[in-house]
Amino acid sequence: MQTQSPIVFRCTEVSSNPQRLTAIRKLLADSHLEMDGDITTFVEARAGNRVVGCAGLAGNVIKCVAVTPQLRGENLSAQLLTEVENLALSRGHFHLFLYTRPCNRDRFEHNGFWPIVQSGNDTILMENIPSGIQRYCHTLQAYRVPGKRIGSIVMNANPFTLGHRHLVEQAAKSCDWLHLFVVREDASFFPFSARLKMVNMGVSDLANVTVHQGSEYIISRATFPTYFLKETCKVQQAWSETDLLIFRNYIAPALGITHRFIGSEPFCDVTHQYNQTMYRVLAGTIEVIEIPRIKATDKAISASEVRRLLKTNQFSRIREIVPDTTFACLESDYARKSQKNQEYHYENC
Amino acid sequence: MKIVREALAGTMESSDLMVRIAPTEEGLEVSIHSEVMKQFGDQILQVVHATLGAMDVHQGFIIIEDKGALDCVIRARLQSAILRAAEPTEINWEKLL
Repeated sequence: MQTQSPIVFRCTEVSSNPQRLTAIRKLLADSHLEMDGDITTFVEARAGNRVVGCAGLAGNVIKCVAVTPQLRGENLSAQLLTEVENLALSRGHFHLFLYTRPCNRDRFEHNGFWPIVQSGNDTILMENIPSGIQRYCHTLQAYRVPGKRIGSIVMNANPFTLGHRHLVEQAAKSCDWLHLFVVREDASFFPFSARLKMVNMGVSDLANVTVHQGSEYIISRATFPTYFLKETCKVQQAWSETDLLIFRNYIAPALGITHRFIGSEPFCDVTHQYNQTMYRVLAGTIEVIEIPRIKATDKAISASEVRRLLKTNQFSRIREIVPDTTFACLESDYARKSQKNQEYHYENC
Repeated sequence: MKIVREALAGTMESSDLMVRIAPTEEGLEVSIHSEVMKQFGDQILQVVHATLGAMDVHQGFIIIEDKGALDCVIRARLQSAILRAAEPTEINWEKLL
């Protein structure tokens, strides 16, 4: 009988060990998987000098879990998960998400993961806290407001512009109540605390709006990773369906949401595709209403334009496309920062 | 002992268990998932609550994924996880026996 080498685990940082990635890519390809661009670390299972299993970690998301065909059925994926879970915790991530194929659902359910939603026959999103999504929705229910037309908007507001303001105003006008979610993930130019503050100030005069802090269940690295890759990496696959299924199956019912409002998207392909997927996924459950963008001097207003103008200090032009509340934030922060150094780095407003 | 941070202990190997602990605002919640829940559910629950009681844990979220571990293993893993999750204090070893 052939003697088997003992299995040892090692941690590989994607950025500093490019030479190790070839073997991992090959193992993934054997399982018909591609290496996702946002994975920062792999846990490798090695037998002798061969890679026999791997699990990738991107923030609080585990993906690209693969085991060589010869070793399947030996519970290696459970060991990989334990390793990767300890690694994630050492980096401050306790609540973890896992992307896998639906055919692996049973295996991961026996290893401490609970399913959230399945998108077609390709992917299923799971989490390591029992009923995590239900717990979150339970806390949302406290914000339920009765009414026939309950609207919702999810925005990053990076930063909050007159375009966002127009969208919120139109939506609030046509609804009994409007739930406005601010994307929580801190992956944008403006940090979450600043974006939340700008939104709160920007809509404070509207009586029928609740501003919600986003969560990992609503446009996050876990539910919609490509959204946060669009500015830095090549987008390999749009995962937007998962995010919209969670919204349809859990979040909307918790708040009694009947409508979802979006701004038309002429600039960003990822957001444009997200909006198209939204029509398909929410059809028959939640009505999607697209509001055309407003224009300033013939150009549709966008947050990316504000960021561009900010980099070149064009404050007079910024003033034309953001509300006074946002402008005050930008300006006061700029004044404070410019005393310290020349370059504009946004921290807080 | 007061649970102040998140912690893990154990593995998902057969005859072992994985314990995950997180702090909560209030209350104690225990979630147990076991391959042998039907046969030994009551006993597992009893060991878990006795261990929590002996260590004065009255608050936190305890998630247990059991793979058919013996009582002594359940106790040991749970104790490790609690010690990792709690504020460091003088350990009363007698209570851990």
